[in-house]
Amino acid sequence: MNATGQIAPASAGTTAAASPEAAAAAAGSPRDSVIIEGLNHRFGETVHAAADISLTFAPGEFVSIVGPSGCGKTTVLNLLAGLLSVQEGTVSIFGSPPRAGRHDVAYMLARDCLFPWLTAEQNAEFGAEVRHVDRNVRRQRSRDLLEAVGLKGFEKNYPKALSHGMRQRVALARTFCLESPLLLMDEPFGALDAQTKMQLEDVLLSLWMKERRNVVFITHDLAEAITLSDRVIVMSARPGRVIADIPIDLPRPRSVSALQKDPAYHKLYSQVWEKLEMGLQS
Amino acid sequence: MSQAAKDRNYELYETIVVNVARIVFLAVFFMLWEYVAQNRIIDPLFIGVPSKIALFLWKGLFVEFTLIKDMLWTMWSTFLAFSIGSIAGIVTGLIFITWPAFERFSDPLFSALNALPRIALAPLFLLWFGLGIWSKVALGASLTYFIVLSSAVAGIRSTNTDHLTLSRTLGASQGQIFTKVTLPSAVPTIFSGLRLGLIYALLGVIGGEIIAAQRGLGQLLSFLAGSFQISGVFAVLFILAILGTGLIGAMNMVEKRLLRWQ
Repeated sequence: MNATGQIAPASAGTTAAASPEAAAAAAGSPRDSVIIEGLNHRFGETVHAAADISLTFAPGEFVSIVGPSGCGKTTVLNLLAGLLSVQEGTVSIFGSPPRAGRHDVAYMLARDCLFPWLTAEQNAEFGAEVRHVDRNVRRQRSRDLLEAVGLKGFEKNYPKALSHGMRQRVALARTFCLESPLLLMDEPFGALDAQTKMQLEDVLLSLWMKERRNVVFITHDLAEAITLSDRVIVMSARPGRVIADIPIDLPRPRSVSALQKDPAYHKLYSQVWEKLEMGLQS
Repeated sequence: MSQAAKDRNYELYETIVVNVARIVFLAVFFMLWEYVAQNRIIDPLFIGVPSKIALFLWKGLFVEFTLIKDMLWTMWSTFLAFSIGSIAGIVTGLIFITWPAFERFSDPLFSALNALPRIALAPLFLLWFGLGIWSKVALGASLTYFIVLSSAVAGIRSTNTDHLTLSRTLGASQGQIFTKVTLPSAVPTIFSGLRLGLIYALLGVIGGEIIAAQRGLGQLLSFLAGSFQISGVFAVLFILAILGTGLIGAMNMVEKRLLRWQ
């Protein structure tokens, strides 16, 4: 690609990065927030996956959605990502309807989804490459992020030579390499063992603290939701409704291991657990 | 001495032993063959004589160069058959993927053509393309084509759906998805098709040459067998074995280079 072709998309990227600050200034306006209103979604005749869901996510907010499996939390995320089309209700992301591939949204799956033919570094910059970010900019950014997720020295490794946890670290780097103000994460640590999961939660917290983007995080792990979030939304069993919206006022920066011994954390845990239990019974 | 160094030494020792054993085995085998043929325990008309085979190879390769000329001719035909067959196969595969309706429409036709023993087309190809190189190229290419076609379709279909979902959310264009996701995912499968296709191209060319030709190793083979020069036949078979091994070796090298991430 020629030099002039690279400049335009790269500057578009910086505007996207600058928008969270602008968003913070004018918090609450629909152009800066993610708004879901009266959302209903059905699969076929019988499966009612999401029922009357109305939610608003403020800029820079870390929100987790928890609920029993099959409650429709992933459906909500896929609707936000534009992977499913909205059937009933409205979804507005920064003032416009969701669409797969918009540059102000980044999506992360439960599986690492790395390309086996690309090195860790090439995988980390893949999203930015697809979005035509200038070669040098994205290379620098992916290197910095790989270092931030603890993979310095593994840049040239292929995924086959990386452990599960390391691969998911690369996927985190790839997601954060995108300059999108909204990050959608679908149980990104769901397939990891308990220790690795806690390490990666710390990595995610540190990455998020630096940039404070709006994160919508799907999980079935209550401890994980409380540890990471500003707000935990509890959904009931199918048909999935929002049954609780609980602010998590634990101070930041948080440390995953320190929280395990914090009584405030455990109090919140039992409080959210009660709601979740209700959701399971309903 | 460290354990690692001991292991290395042991490996080296093992390699030497295996290679020496192979050479000894071959030497004994050929000496026995020579003895059996010379003493007419089995008529040399059927099995040839190793010393005569060696002489034939020596003359053909280093003195009169007749074997070299035929070998180059066969290799060139194989190269053409392989190139035409595999490019056509990959292109057809892409058409199938792009227009699935065309694939459904043409499936019975392609299945029937693929099931047809292609060597049976040789007389027709001779009539259409003449005694020269092109009838052999056509036969070889017709074998390669179907093998590469099915591997190309299978390879492109094997693309991981997660990879496609991710690309969609990133906003990748159709072109980006094809060059950055679909094509690299298909390479390993296509490559196994190409490897097989190369062997079949050689098979088609040799088959065509045996049936009717003016030059090439197959034609030489058929001439030597027809005039009861059995040592010559064995010499040509050795050349063919080495040629086939060489082609596969070259293919493996390319594959290793392209698929070093596997």
